[in-house]
Amino acid sequence: MLTRLSDINRLFNAMDFFRNRLDSLYSDADWAYPAGLKWSVEDRFPKTNLYEDGDLFEIRAELPGIAKEDLNVKIQGNYLEISGAKKSGTPEKYSIHRTERDITSFTRSFTLPADVDSEKVKATLENGILTLTLPKSEAAKPKQITIA
Amino acid sequence: MNHKTDIVKAGEKNIEKTRTLETVLPSVDIFESEEEILLFADMPGVLKEDLRVNIDNGTLSLSGVRKLQPRGAARWEEFGDVEYRRNFSVPQTINVEKVYAELKDGVLKLHLPKSEAAKPRLIQINAA
Repeated sequence: MLTRLSDINRLFNAMDFFRNRLDSLYSDADWAYPAGLKWSVEDRFPKTNLYEDGDLFEIRAELPGIAKEDLNVKIQGNYLEISGAKKSGTPEKYSIHRTERDITSFTRSFTLPADVDSEKVKATLENGILTLTLPKSEAAKPKQITIA
Repeated sequence: MNHKTDIVKAGEKNIEKTRTLETVLPSVDIFESEEEILLFADMPGVLKEDLRVNIDNGTLSLSGVRKLQPRGAARWEEFGDVEYRRNFSVPQTINVEKVYAELKDGVLKLHLPKSEAAKPRLIQINAA
């Protein structure tokens, strides 16, 4: 059974490979093509990774150019929501040639595999990557069972 | 990813390639004012040390490598280690000496100042 996204990804590697080749045609030729045109379906924003490490989960999200103040993280039980907005637009006195970074506001929510202790969640935003460290709640922590 | 099944032989390009790193196009915004061309490129997770900005013979090439430190077991992964790479043609009017770049919050901001000769100039008309 394919339980992990990475397994599925592996199946599509060949396709990704061709898509990248086609994308790089654009890059090399540098034609004036419509903003953001790529050989792929629209990705969800922000892209995230979820890691599980014993007592905690770690979520990472790609959030380039988003300020700390413009980001909201909501947690309730095993429900997590990341939302925010980007302020930057066209700088004054500048004319536009291309705008592909046109994300203005976004929301993405997740159901985590287990409940987390919302009091102990830590969040850092570094180099455009948001890292959330989410310790599992007591009930969801792995327990060592002693055999009597 | 196994590239041995590659039907497109990339020839000399691949000779020194020892690892396969996915290459993606960074999204860019390009603005122009009278003084400069301003380029923003999204490169989340790329550190300053791993970013190269090159201008050679009228071609601007950006290359940023992202190395993530994975933690524990991945439940899902939508992004990984990649190389952000993109090339642009830059006009002759750019003063290459004065180009400067900043990297903040995963966004590269590249200032490409125009040379004096290329800036619009208001010509004073003298009364004869």
